[in-house]
Amino acid sequence: MQNQNDLLKDESEIASSISEIKYEEWGNCSTLEDEPSFQEEESAKVPYVGDKEPLSSLAAEYQSGSPILLEKIKILENQYTAIRRTRGDGNCFFRSFMFSYLEHILESQDRAEVDRIKVNVEKCRKTLQNLGYTDFTFEDFFALFLEQLDDILQGSEESISYEELVNRSRDQSVSDYIVMFFRFVTAGEIRTRAEFFEPFITGLSNATVDQFCKSSVEPMGEESDHIHITALSDALGVAIRVMYLDRSSCDNGGVTVNHHDFVPAGTNEKEEASAPFITLLYRPGHYDILYPKSSCKVPDNVGK
Amino acid sequence: MAAVNGYQGNTPADPPATNGSKQPVPSTKTVDSQSVLKRLQSELMGLMMGGDPGISAFPEEDNIFCWKGTITGSKETVFEGTEYRLSLSFSNDYPFKPPKVKFETCCFHPNVDVYGNICLDILQDKWSSAYDVRTILLSIQSLLGEPNISSPLNTQAAQLWSNQEEYKKMVEKLYKPLNA
Repeated sequence: MQNQNDLLKDESEIASSISEIKYEEWGNCSTLEDEPSFQEEESAKVPYVGDKEPLSSLAAEYQSGSPILLEKIKILENQYTAIRRTRGDGNCFFRSFMFSYLEHILESQDRAEVDRIKVNVEKCRKTLQNLGYTDFTFEDFFALFLEQLDDILQGSEESISYEELVNRSRDQSVSDYIVMFFRFVTAGEIRTRAEFFEPFITGLSNATVDQFCKSSVEPMGEESDHIHITALSDALGVAIRVMYLDRSSCDNGGVTVNHHDFVPAGTNEKEEASAPFITLLYRPGHYDILYPKSSCKVPDNVGK
Repeated sequence: MAAVNGYQGNTPADPPATNGSKQPVPSTKTVDSQSVLKRLQSELMGLMMGGDPGISAFPEEDNIFCWKGTITGSKETVFEGTEYRLSLSFSNDYPFKPPKVKFETCCFHPNVDVYGNICLDILQDKWSSAYDVRTILLSIQSLLGEPNISSPLNTQAAQLWSNQEEYKKMVEKLYKPLNA
């Protein structure tokens, strides 16, 4: 009994001494805080996927901005007609890719492309299984993406309109699931080809491939860069063009807009020659969707 | 198995409040709380079949959104021979948002506060849908033996950690066996 009393006494002493520690001294862990950050509240005012806007709305943003940017926007206006903005919540690359891809399928009704990507999706599923991911952690996300593919092909009872595609892209319960599907696919590709991605990852941070996937790919809201785009493009076999709107300029005097085409491995020459059907606009820290002028393909000599 | 099936079609009487206050109403029938339910049922099945030593978890009587878990301290750590009960509560946003996980048994640990709150990155900003109850419990189990001393919730424990012998005495002093 003696012992037990001592024990109780000690425990209460420790408990009170712990609770005396001031909140500020508890280090940087915010277990008690559950409120959305200012940034989250701000970005929540923008829908996940915005409306199509004329490209002039981009110029309007920079009215009194850097002359280099304004000049680059002029160049963009020659090639592109419209922009569709996405929410700056760290998922903008995946969200832009999602909408751009599904919109392309809805408009083109390209069943061969849907069949092709489904084969890749099944490969991605195998990849995750081989890597030891538990099925139930990813299967819902896969199922929802496949369902969207079926729904945007016309001619079935479930077929959806363009408006419904926009609605779903703005609906958290669909949009976030598809973003998460892409995050799984991206992580699976990076892990499977770890020896290929490792040098890029160590160049970017001193994380291992596993740490990088756990901290920068799998969690929602983690921003994407070249590594994510390369991995997603390769895994799904979908080419992506990214136009860079930044302050960089060439030495030879002329301003050009840099772009980079992410072309998945195994693309044949004929496919490679045509411009990717997905074009994203990159501004440092953010991706939006660009719409090319229908008659005007971007010439390949534009600022590579 | 019977217990698992018993949860099917059971809508939770009192699901925990969701974090996002302005969540749009789902426009498709595909994804709603049913999918959270299905996911949790799969997790339960997986845990029961998996048989990981040293961890277990099971939903509370009639609410699959609230689980009780147990972890045992790993061998060759100061927590060897102890067993801890935790509560896990899932929101309708699961698996987009992590469950709220707390120690219910007093745990003298640098990253656990006096209320049982746990400071672990995967339960906060590094959460992803790739985690599940099993990996959460395994992560907490390994956190026991490998605390993060640089950002402690319990500074006293953090300071004492370097003296493992004294630390073990403190763990034993404060430990209350589960079925006592």
